[in-house]
This record gives sequence, C-alpha cells and structure tokens, in this order.
Amino acid sequence: MSLSDFIPFVPEIFLAAAGLGILLAGITLGKKGVRTLIGSGVAALIVTAVLVWVFGRPQGGPQVILGGMLVLDNLAVFFKLIMIAASIIALIMSAGFLERSPYGGGEYTSLVLFATVGMMVMASGANLASLYVGLELMALSVYILVGYFKLEVKSNEAAVKYFVLGALSSGILVYGISLVYGTLGTLDLRGIHQALAGMAKLNWAAGLGIVLVGFGMLFKVAIVPFHVWTPDAYEGAPTPVTAFISVGPKAAAFAMFLRIFLGAFEPNIAAWRTVMWVAAAATMIFANTAALTQNNVKRMLAYSSIAHAGYALMGIVAGTAMGLWSVMLYMLIYTFMNLGAFGFVILLESRGYAGETIQDYAGLAKRHPAAAAGMLVFMLGLAGIPPTAGFMGKLYVFAAAVQAGYVGLTVIAVVMSAVSLFYYFRIVVQMYLHDGEEDEPAELIRDRWVEAMIFVCVAATLFIGVYPGPMVGWARAGISALGLG
Amino acid sequence: MAFLVAHFTQIVFYVLALLAVLGGIGVVTFKNPVHSALSLLGTFLMVAGLFVLRHAEFLAAVQVLVYAGGIMVLFLFVIMLVNVKKLQPEAVFLSAQAPMAVLAGVLVGALVAFGLLAGKLAAAGGVPAALQTVDGKVLGNTEAVGWLLYRQYLVPFEVVSVVLLVAMVGAIVFGLKSASLDRGEGRAER
Amino acid sequence: MQIPHLLTIVTIGPAVAAGVLGLIPGRYERLHRWLALLASVVLFVVSLFLWTGFNPDVAGFQLVDGPIAWIPQLGINYTLGMDGISLLLVLLTTLLIPVVILASWTSISERVKGFHISLLLLTTGMIGAFLALDLFLFYVFWELMLIPMYFIIGIWGGARRIYAAVKFFIYTMVGSVFMLVAILYLGFFHHQLTGVWSFAYADFLKTAPQLAMGSSILHSPQLLVFLAFALAFAIKVPMFPFHTWLPDAHVEAPTGGSIILAGVLLKLGTYGFLRFNRALFPAAWEACVPLILILAVIGILYGAWVAMVQPDMKKLVAYSSVSHLGFVMLGLAAGTIASTQGAVLQMVNHGLSTGALFLLVGVIYERRHTRLIADYGGIAKVVPIYTGLFLLVTLSSIGLPGLNGFVGEFLILAGSWEKYPAVVVLGALGIIFGAVYMLWMVQRVFWSPFAHEENRDLKDINLREVLAVLPLLVFIVWIGVHPTTFLSPMEAAVRLLLAR
Repeated sequence: MSLSDFIPFVPEIFLAAAGLGILLAGITLGKKGVRTLIGSGVAALIVTAVLVWVFGRPQGGPQVILGGMLVLDNLAVFFKLIMIAASIIALIMSAGFLERSPYGGGEYTSLVLFATVGMMVMASGANLASLYVGLELMALSVYILVGYFKLEVKSNEAAVKYFVLGALSSGILVYGISLVYGTLGTLDLRGIHQALAGMAKLNWAAGLGIVLVGFGMLFKVAIVPFHVWTPDAYEGAPTPVTAFISVGPKAAAFAMFLRIFLGAFEPNIAAWRTVMWVAAAATMIFANTAALTQNNVKRMLAYSSIAHAGYALMGIVAGTAMGLWSVMLYMLIYTFMNLGAFGFVILLESRGYAGETIQDYAGLAKRHPAAAAGMLVFMLGLAGIPPTAGFMGKLYVFAAAVQAGYVGLTVIAVVMSAVSLFYYFRIVVQMYLHDGEEDEPAELIRDRWVEAMIFVCVAATLFIGVYPGPMVGWARAGISALGLG
Repeated sequence: MAFLVAHFTQIVFYVLALLAVLGGIGVVTFKNPVHSALSLLGTFLMVAGLFVLRHAEFLAAVQVLVYAGGIMVLFLFVIMLVNVKKLQPEAVFLSAQAPMAVLAGVLVGALVAFGLLAGKLAAAGGVPAALQTVDGKVLGNTEAVGWLLYRQYLVPFEVVSVVLLVAMVGAIVFGLKSASLDRGEGRAER
Repeated sequence: MQIPHLLTIVTIGPAVAAGVLGLIPGRYERLHRWLALLASVVLFVVSLFLWTGFNPDVAGFQLVDGPIAWIPQLGINYTLGMDGISLLLVLLTTLLIPVVILASWTSISERVKGFHISLLLLTTGMIGAFLALDLFLFYVFWELMLIPMYFIIGIWGGARRIYAAVKFFIYTMVGSVFMLVAILYLGFFHHQLTGVWSFAYADFLKTAPQLAMGSSILHSPQLLVFLAFALAFAIKVPMFPFHTWLPDAHVEAPTGGSIILAGVLLKLGTYGFLRFNRALFPAAWEACVPLILILAVIGILYGAWVAMVQPDMKKLVAYSSVSHLGFVMLGLAAGTIASTQGAVLQMVNHGLSTGALFLLVGVIYERRHTRLIADYGGIAKVVPIYTGLFLLVTLSSIGLPGLNGFVGEFLILAGSWEKYPAVVVLGALGIIFGAVYMLWMVQRVFWSPFAHEENRDLKDINLREVLAVLPLLVFIVWIGVHPTTFLSPMEAAVRLLLAR
C-alpha cells in the first residue's frame, strides 16, 4: 500500500480535516461566528463534492481499494453526492435556527461533517468492518446532534431514546456480522457472496447472521417493527437536525443495505426476501395509518419517512437491477422533498416549538402564497402525485416490484399511498381551505437562506418529476457495481 | 477424568462464558452502583479469559489493561466522587413492559441458541492462522494484530479514531455547563 | 392551414398561461381576469384549427404529436393524438373555459389569481387526458385534474366546501390508484409478451385483449384490470352507486366549478369507458355489459326520482346529471353504432345544457343568495330575459325536438332498441321523469304565484352573463337543428372502435 493508494480516499480525508478545523475555529469564534462556521462547513462540503467527482470516480469498472475496505463505483458516487447535497442543504437551513438559539456553531457544523464522512464510508464500504465503523461514525455524530439543544427536555429525551435504541441495533448488527464471519471466515462482501453462492444448503448459523444483520439494517432505516425510535427522535431533535437525519443517514443506511443484501447476501435472496416483503407491507400499512392521527407536523413527517422507507424497501424485495436503481433514485428524490418540507417547518418555528401543530398552518396560503405553494409541492411529492418527482420515485419502485412479480405488494403500496394523501393533505387543507385565527397567526420567519434552499428543493422536485430521464440514467449507471446489470 | 482432559478447552469456555453472562446480569440487577461496577469488572476479566482461550493474547492484555484497568477505575472514581449510594426505588421503571421484555428476550435467546446449535461455525479448534501469521510470515500475536490493523484494516482503524473524537466532542457538548452557553451576543429566544 | 404541434399547443397552452398569471402579483385582480379570459378565448380560437385540420374520413388518430421519449427506461412516450370522439370533447372543453371565466367574473372575488391559475391548470389536465395516446401520460393528466378541482371546490366553494372537497378527493383518488396499478400491470404484461416496455395505447390495443379470462374473477386478469379501470371511470361518471360525491361537490362548488365539473370532468369517465374499457378489454366488456346496463338504468331512474324532490335548484340539476349520464352509459353499453354515436353526442349535449343550467342558477344565486325553489315564485315578470333563457336551456335538457338533447337521447334509445328493448322502455321512463322534474321546477320558480317581496327588484340578466351563456345556446340550437355537423366527424372513429 503506497501513498498514492489514498488518492481516491482524499475526499473523506479532506472532509474530516475540515471538520477538525471548524471544531477548533468554533472555540475561538464563539457564538458570533455561527454564520462563518456554517459557511465554511458548506464550502468544505462543496469542495468535497468536487473531490469526489475528480478522485472518487471509478476508472472503468468498480475498483476495490485500500486493502479491500472500500470500493470505487457509481453506486458510491451517486450516494456520496446525495449525502453531500443533503448535508449542504441541512447546514444552510440550520444557520438562522442556530443563531436564534443559545448554542454555538462549531461543534454543530463539525458533527455534521463527521457524520457525512461516516455516511461516505458507508456508501463505498466493501467490507463489513469498514461499513460498520462508517455507520458508527455517522450514528454517534447524529445522536449528539439530536441532543444538541440540551436545554430542551424534548431534545434530551430524543437523544437518549435514539442512542439507547441505536446502540441496541448496532449490537444486533455486530452480533450478526460476527456470526457471518464465524461461519464464512470473511468480512469481505465479495468473499461472502462467493462463500454463500458455494453453499449447497444455507448453514443455520450463517442464516442467523443474515437475519440479525437484516434486523440491524431494518432498524437503521426505520422499518416496522424496528421503527419505534423514529417519531420521538424526529420530534425532539432541533428541526434542521431532523431534516438532516431524515435524509442523509437514511440514504446512507439504504446504500449499506443495498451493498450487503443485494451484494453479499444476494445468493440467499429467496430466504430473506419473504421477510422483507412482510416488513415492507407492515411498514407501509402501519406507518401510513399511524400518521393519519398525528397532530404534530414533525411527528407526522416522521411516520411519513417510515412509510417512505417501506416503499423503498420494495425495490430491495424485487431484488432485480431495476429494483436496485429504483431505490437509488427514490433516495435522491426523497432527499429533496423531505428536506424541503422540513425547511418549511423551520420557517414556521418563529415561536419556539410553535408551528409544529397542524393548526398552526391555518390560512398560510393567504398570507404567504409562495411559501405555501412550495409546501404544496412537497406534500404532493411525498404523496406521489404527478407531475412531482415523488410520483416518479414511486413509479419506478412499483414497476420494479410488478416486474419481479410482486403485484400484491404493489397493490398494498398504491392503496397506502392513497391513504397517505389524507395526512399530507391535512396540511394543505389547513393552509388553503382554512382561515387562520385572526388574533395570533403563526408567522413565517424571514430567512433568505432557508427560502433559497426550499426553492432549490422545489425546483428539483418538479424538474425530476417532469423530466426524470437523466437522473434515471445516472442511477442506472450504479447497477454495474453489484453485478446485477 | 479423561473427559475433562479431552474437553478441557470447551469446559473452560463454558465456565468463562457463564460467568461473563452472570456478571452482565449483575450489572443491571445490583442496587448498589459500586457492586454493579465490580460485576462489570468481572465480566471484562472473563471476556479476557475467552480471548486467551482463542489465542488472542494481545486482545486479552488490552482487555485487562484498558477496560478492567483504565475504564473501570474511571467508573468507580466517578461513582465514588458523585457519591451515588443506591438507586432510588422509583428509578425502577418500565415495570409494565418487563414481562414482555422477558418474553422477547427468551424468544431471541431461543432463536440464537437454535441457530448456533443447528449451524456450524468455521475453523473450530486450532489456532486461527490470521492471529499468528500475516502474508505467510510467522509473527507473534501482537505483531500480527499490528500488521492487520495498520495495513488491511487501516481505513476502519482511522475511521474509528474519528469516532472517538466525535465521542469526545459529544461528552464536551453535553458536559459543558449551561451557563457557559450563550457566550457572545446572547440572542436566545427560546 | 396546418400548425405544427397543434395538439401540444392546445394542451400545454393553458398551463403556460397559468404560469404567466403566476408571475403577476395577486393584487391586480382585473388584469388576472382579463388575461385569463384572453387566454381562454385564444385557446378556443386555436382549437378551431383542430376542426379545420381534422379529416373525418380517417378513422384512426390524427394530428399525432410524438412519440417523444419521455421515460425511455419504461418505454413511456409523450404522444398526443386525436380522433373524432376526442375532437368533440376537446372543443367542448375549450368552449366552456371562457364561459366559466365569464360566469365567475363577479362571483369569485377572493384570491382571483389562484382561481384562474387553478382553472387553467385544470384545462391542461382535461385536454391532455382527452388527447393522450400513452396510458401513462393519460394517468398523469388525469391526476393533474385532481388538485385544481379540489382547490376550486375547497377554496371558493360554499359553506360545507371542505367536506365536499375532501369527499371529491377521496372518491377520485380511490379510483385512480387502482387504475395506476392496472396500467403498470398492462405495461408489465406487454413487456412479458413482447419483451419491450411500452405504455402506448396502440400497443395495448394489441396486447391487452390477450389477457386471460378465467372461470372466476380472481383467475381472470383481464376482468381484474378491467374492473380497476372501470372503478376509476365509474366514480368519475358517476355511475350508481358511486355517485354520492357528486351532489355534495356540485352544491358546494362555485358556479364556475360546477360548470366545468358537469361539463367536462364527468365526461372523462364516460370517455374512459369508451376509449379504454371498451377497446382494450373486449371479452371483459362483453361479460360486464349486463351489469353496466342495470347500473345505467338504476342511475337514470334513481337520479330522476331524487331530483324530483330536491328543494335546492343546484342539487336538482346535480341529480339530473346522474340521470343524464346514465343515458350515456346505456348508449355505450348497448354498443351499436347509433347508440354509441348518440352517447358521445349526449356527452357534449350534457356539457352544454347542464353547464348552461348551472350558469343560470349561479346568476340568480348571485342576486338573491339562495337556491331554494321555495324562495322564488312568479319571477317571470321581474326577469323576463332570464326566464326565456332558462326555459330554452330546460327544454334542451329534457330533450325537446329541435334542440340538442333530443338528438342524443333519440340516437341512444333507437340504437339500443334492437338489442335491449326492455332497457329502452325503462330508459324512456327516465325521459318522462326528466321532463316532469325540470318543468315542475321551472313552473314553481317562474310562474307560480308571486310569493316573496324581496324578489320584486331582482335585476335581470346582464350583458356579461348573456355573453357567457350565448355560446352554449348557439350550440344547443345548432346540434338540435343540424346534428350531422357533429355526428359525421366521429362516425369513422366510432366504427373503428366498435369493430375491435
């Protein structure tokens, strides 16, 4: 291993170093420097994205680098860029929010950057060891971010719940990994694939390992019945953090999920597919039903994100090349829609946690037509109504499921998306059809940066919805990575 | 007697494993935190014994030095310092969920036991080659771990170092007194 | 003269106009009204080129725009095309939009900008759905109609508007989700048969009839897919027993919304039955004809009976829609050339007559803020012009010879006679009931003894309102006097469709 072997790893190294620098700068700049710190964090992320594009792309086919720990392929590039975009948008949305709070910006920004490093490792890991440490880096940073507003009881509670359940799931995951290593003698994803393919009959202990790794992954992407941490964590976390954890870590966990299950465990797809089928169906049914009765918008969006994980899981159930790239595309689209929706919640939180109940949205369309129209786009998108990107995302996932013969699952998914319309439209009904109480209407914060980010998300949601071709092409380039093409 | 000799390793393994689990149960059931900490210490030592049994002498030593030595002392130090005598009775929480938790635990335990009994782990017995040799060179256990850690597993190793850094940042974020917040302009509105 | 991409211009034009309106601040209300009116009139004029460019001797799709690859991975293309059937319905749509804008000139006084944007987007959805030749594209346009209509009912509607809007939304959505699965399944089936992904109508015409028909419902994919489509369209028509959203939606919607709902949206249901259910699944259609006939007759009679006891004029007209669309479904189900032509013509007729009725009810509602028949009486002397217009429209609606309704209903009943005489007899009863409840309402409103002093200084219909209703009257008479103008362009298309 020579120094030049590290060149593809330069983006991660750079980002971690930038995180360190911002951590130090935060101490000297103090509270005044929130905007400077977040600005430099964003700049570092943009540079990282460029570095990923310059150094992180594979030449030719997938390349395994650095002792088989990481792999350079289009899947990794795709997910890395999604995650970096999510981190950039979430950071910019945090600036005003942090400034209004008594908390500093140095630790905050650096934790987001470290979490991004972890996610990037998750996206390109070729070995269960590197995948796992990437996951832990991401998870630990996120636990701290969730509890960052430590004077808020809700924030504390959310962090503790998230941490305890997250640690439990990590334990399950590691136990599963240890069983896989114990039976197959390797942690390398390709090695596992070969070993499993060579087995005439699945060893029970290896099967148990697969099951436990599956549980751990379902936990991380919040699939029923491993979802219980999500509503509390999402509700209690500072809203920009909620926005961040609902997209970045979820995309990273799905990247890891795809690599492990459609890559390493692919030979045993018949065995785990049924479990995933049941989990996806249960998730879509339960999460969409539970979201109907939520009165807190963040909690509602939490259940909605659980439901979306369920839709995306359909692509993994399909297990085909189309299933793979449809999940990738879904994550891309979902990132923009969800970030936008949370951005709108941020704008409404002018009075502490006010603006979190659905009633706070009453009559907003009259007072803020542009912002309400943006929220309308996100709600339509999340519900999967054309011509938004959300429809395209669901379309491909559903088409993949139908193609693989899962018509029943698709019917469940489609019916549940219709159900989801009701809760998304509760917000729309409040915004457009109700007049707010006149005495003290919830006001929107004027925050140019958040507005700009919402605009970016609206543009992306509509553009991909009307013209999905290029994004689909890009996602499809990722399938060669796992040899499913 | 012949049975004992023939199955010496297995017997020692099960004894150590049983003690480790008992220690773990002790950690969560003792009312006095000092007892819990000591129970945890016992578990750490048993795990160190398990490492020895698998010829991972380096790991065993690290386990004793770092966990049993360093971390436990820190734990006890904190417990003594803040003078936690006993957990208050109302701290027994989640009592309603206890039966379900037991049931779930038994079910998972049964699943794991079944999987392990019905399955077969690779390379049973003997000395795992990777713990002694790397690239065919015969080295000691310590060197072998070093070679692996700084060559093949360099990336995870480096990432773990960032994880530790994040953990420290977290400790500082949460440990910092609230009064020290709001330095600077103090535009707290919440 | 042949304009390139004419269909795309007609379809996307309204959406572009909506975008332009979106850029203008909402406080310039007059500007919004005038621009929207201008756009809709221009749209109507442009759509007349569809008529001139249309060759009635050609049975297939004409002026086809595309296919342009839209989602190549799934073989989804942007393809628009027109035959005689869609020609009439598109022209009906473009005719009704300026009417709606004129009718809403003073009754919509809040959030004027939003109303016109919704209306124009709705127009794009409707025209697109009539013209789409790719089922996927059809679905997108179909869904595109949902949100604007939901807003039109929910924002500018009456007291129970939110209830009505949500009900409309739920019904429509339930129907369309199953249709989406069915469309995906058809695409998948086509892929299975041919190895190529496609959602083109032309391709489905070849592969969809090959879907198996089994002994039971669950074992015959064709029947299941047929029912998934049928549910979406039956809700939209609306066929008994899926009609319960309609009275609520109509009563709560603003006048303009009711016109567009009755005039065009309901037609998408019957159009869908003809274009997709009839053509794509001949075996399943054959099996379901008795059911459709029964439901159509129930709809005709039930709608008429319920209309008879309505105290509210708008609700009366709404239930009369259920009855009239029952006739359309009867004509489609009977499936002869004459009955199908009659059904298509009756779609247009219903759009004209019922649209005009809603418009006129809206006119008087704006003055008195009540639609209860009991609140009027003997006002013929106070508002003579209005009375005359109302009477004309009523006569058209009940099918007086010489006006449009007669032609459509006659063709439907005469065409169905040879196949289903019993059904025709029952349907004819519906015509009689229709005459009874409409004339009874007119009598009570305009000629019964003068009962309410408030009606003494009721203002007669003004110029703007006359201008709004006039185009509808022109066509009401034209179709009645010379129906061949409208029957001949669709004949070839209908023959082709029924030949499958």
